[in-house]
Amino acid sequence: MVNPILLIVVPLGLAFALPIVNLISKKIIKYIPVLAFLFNLILSLLLIPKVLEQTIIVKIGGFHPPFGINLFVGPVGILFSTLIALAGFLVSIYALSYIKEGPKEKYHILYLLLLTGATGVVLTGDMFNLFVFFEILCISSYALVAYLGNKAGIESSIKYLIQGSVGSSLLLLGIGLLYGQLGTLNMADIANQINSISSPSIFVPMIFIITGLGIEAAIFPLNAWLPDAHSSAPSSISAILSGIAIEVGLYAVIRVIFTIFNASSFLMFFVFLGVLTLLIGEMSAFSQKNIKRMLAYSSIGQIGLIMFAISLNTQLGISAGFFQMISHTLGKGLLFLSVGFLIYKTGSMKISSFEGIGKKMPITSLLFTIGAFSIVGLPPFAGFASKFMIIKAALTTGQLLFTVLIGVILLGTVIEGAYFFKVIQSIYFKGTTDIIKRDEAPLIALISMSIFVLLIIFIGVYPDFIARILNSAASEFINRIDYIRSVLG
Amino acid sequence: MKKIISLILLFIICLGIVFCLQDIPFGAAKTKVGHYYIDNGREETGATNIVTSVVLNYRGFDTLGEVTILFLAAIGLGAVLATLKKKGKRQIEPASLILKTGCRFLFPLILLFGAYIFIHGHLTPGGGFQGGAIIASAFLLVYLGCRERKINEVANKITESIAGLVFIVMGLIGLTVGGHYFLSNFMPKGEINTLFSSGIIPIIYIAIGFKVGSELTGIIDNLMEKS
Repeated sequence: MVNPILLIVVPLGLAFALPIVNLISKKIIKYIPVLAFLFNLILSLLLIPKVLEQTIIVKIGGFHPPFGINLFVGPVGILFSTLIALAGFLVSIYALSYIKEGPKEKYHILYLLLLTGATGVVLTGDMFNLFVFFEILCISSYALVAYLGNKAGIESSIKYLIQGSVGSSLLLLGIGLLYGQLGTLNMADIANQINSISSPSIFVPMIFIITGLGIEAAIFPLNAWLPDAHSSAPSSISAILSGIAIEVGLYAVIRVIFTIFNASSFLMFFVFLGVLTLLIGEMSAFSQKNIKRMLAYSSIGQIGLIMFAISLNTQLGISAGFFQMISHTLGKGLLFLSVGFLIYKTGSMKISSFEGIGKKMPITSLLFTIGAFSIVGLPPFAGFASKFMIIKAALTTGQLLFTVLIGVILLGTVIEGAYFFKVIQSIYFKGTTDIIKRDEAPLIALISMSIFVLLIIFIGVYPDFIARILNSAASEFINRIDYIRSVLG
Repeated sequence: MKKIISLILLFIICLGIVFCLQDIPFGAAKTKVGHYYIDNGREETGATNIVTSVVLNYRGFDTLGEVTILFLAAIGLGAVLATLKKKGKRQIEPASLILKTGCRFLFPLILLFGAYIFIHGHLTPGGGFQGGAIIASAFLLVYLGCRERKINEVANKITESIAGLVFIVMGLIGLTVGGHYFLSNFMPKGEINTLFSSGIIPIIYIAIGFKVGSELTGIIDNLMEKS
């Protein structure tokens, strides 16, 4: 029988074994992450049909919840673990040709653990276990942001470290207060015992937990670390941080709000916060001259959009939010990866230095353009389908407020389009008209990025392909009673 | 102005915590999970030390995560320090005879004490983390006392990796052979209160002891060399 625990244990074991492998041969270590995430991808795909039939509860050590730790492998968990494994697999292929300098062995260990932490966060059914995996996710990102060892990297890593640690402390404090009152750490058991969030003794831990998780999720105004951290990390890591890490943070926030605290009255606040995050992210992105900072701010905008969709608190809205997460992971991953080689060849992160690079690196530029089109939301790419679903979800609620907010969001999309087209313009239509010698990214990186493109187009053309899992995922968040029952029996 | 705002924020946070703490009776054993551990811990896990039975059996998965966090911290520190340029050879001033002799004399004793702490983790207070920290302190003493000596980095790395793998492999054996649960206690529990009891707990605690010891030693080594 395939056990979902292997999704966490196998990458973890490989990370532990990597120093020994490094002593045997320095050449094969870079293939270990590829292997690990290929395994995870296959296992996740195998588990999807089973999970859609029935949620799998994995009792670790054989103890019944709430006395032991359990994994809750529901549609949401398996959706995320597939996404993490997919992005992890493709980015590790890309890194085969991208990571050439520095302590490579440590890069691969940290990379494995970063994604193991992310997988753990989305699969666990225990509050303290969530904190532990969250720490694994965060600490490996701190180290990876500083991987290049330049001044900007270390500075932003320290900024990220300080803010992240404050967030983790708040999270731990919140969990502690909750444990003191309820005497349990199991998420389903906590959810079962929480009657109302109106009493201050429940409200305070909730605020602590949401704030602590919100720092990693980059919700405005807790996102000051993000532009620096995402822009000074190696591009392969930026792709993971933008595509996976913040989304996992957001997952944790909404899991806490929906399942544990049942705080649907709180969601109106999140609708506005989402729109605000979107506008601020997009407007800041518009004024950037550094390409990676621009992409990082664009991620903040996208997170705002996802928050808005999920906070609608309807079946369609939550599905649309998850859909937007998928298309953001694919789109932003592709953008960061292609930009990685554009920067590598031009030697500069300035948008102005990309003039005319469309002739020098036509394929990489094309891949960048497709990623940009998908993020902006042009058909037939995945971004169009997901944004369209969000608009549909907002309009079907029938409330005037959401219709107005959709207008604001479309304005944000227009800004998004403006800055992406500015970059595309300077790639293709500026600079010299002379024929320049071609100088492409390595083949292996191009293959990895092309798979991103294929997925973006495939999901964009056949959004129904993932409709079922999105629907089940949305139901998991809406029916919290089912969640509690399936764990506690 | 900034300071005033920070103070006000801090005050609000404190107020919130105070409100919460009022609802939690101090010292009263009302937590249901805690009661369960106290009542059933000995029979279910075979460990006399209830804390150990919680840390390694009921919540063993958390401990695996915590070991990983320490591993991560050591690797992350190594990665960041590796990028810094070496400042040339460090001037080593030899330690005095008293310090040197004392360090030579104490080193094996500290190692022995650390080993005792983690081998008896299921019987007496302490365990892998504490024992590992004590062992690392022995190596710190060597760095301070016998300054020309250096640990064998390769051996340290191998110890660290193998110890981590032992933890995971024990968990996986539990998954495949005994009981179909990851980290299940598949070995015979033995007679309570004896050294060879409580199944996989001592084995995992010894692995943790080695792992924590070698990780902390690695951190000390890294910092000593780059400082």
